[in-house]
Amino acid sequence: MPPSTAFAALARRNNHFVLAYDATTSESCDFESILSRRYGGGGITLGIAWMAATATTGAVVWSAQWERHDTATDLDADSFATAVNSAAATAPGTSGFTAYTTIAFSNAQIDGLLVGEHFRLRVTRLPADSGDTMSGDAQILGCECRET
Amino acid sequence: MAVLSDQDRADVAAQFMQEAVGPIPILKTDVRAAVDALDSWYNTNAASANQALPPAARAGLTQADKAFMSNLIVNKRYVKGS
Repeated sequence: MPPSTAFAALARRNNHFVLAYDATTSESCDFESILSRRYGGGGITLGIAWMAATATTGAVVWSAQWERHDTATDLDADSFATAVNSAAATAPGTSGFTAYTTIAFSNAQIDGLLVGEHFRLRVTRLPADSGDTMSGDAQILGCECRET
Repeated sequence: MAVLSDQDRADVAAQFMQEAVGPIPILKTDVRAAVDALDSWYNTNAASANQALPPAARAGLTQADKAFMSNLIVNKRYVKGS
């Protein structure tokens, strides 16, 4: 679900749906799900599959943050936990190739989320970060959450 | 006319990165440096380009129309599919 402002736009690339993150304006997209009851409290690693729209050099800095939806959270206001950034992720040297970048969250960094609870995960590109040097859009194909 | 403002140059760089066909093998900072350099070059050579026009066009066309004509020529020469 895109935020109401500064959202990554849905685009099509060779009939793959991608979320296009701008190179100069920070944009986000929110993913919602329920934390698996198999989660054992060992922290969560977010995996991001992405491509460069046109670049064949440079790097992207991703950021992500969690918002727990327990029975005491008012969803009419945002309450995301502190974001965690990726290292600068190098763009593939060939246009159209996929890159895989991870961000590891400790159990304390997922906003106190418990198994069986609904959540939002906001994924953002940080074009103003000194490590974000890639020209053009970064296109997310998909995200994976797995226990670290 | 002076060179573009910093914000205008940033806007041009952003639009280029959004709309260029690619692949683009240079960094964001290189894109911006190229925009700055081209804008400065246009500023330096605008008078020379105007002098290249025949007298009727030089006197009769507005600055905007001369720029539009230049844009059409550049696109036809260098941009694929134009």
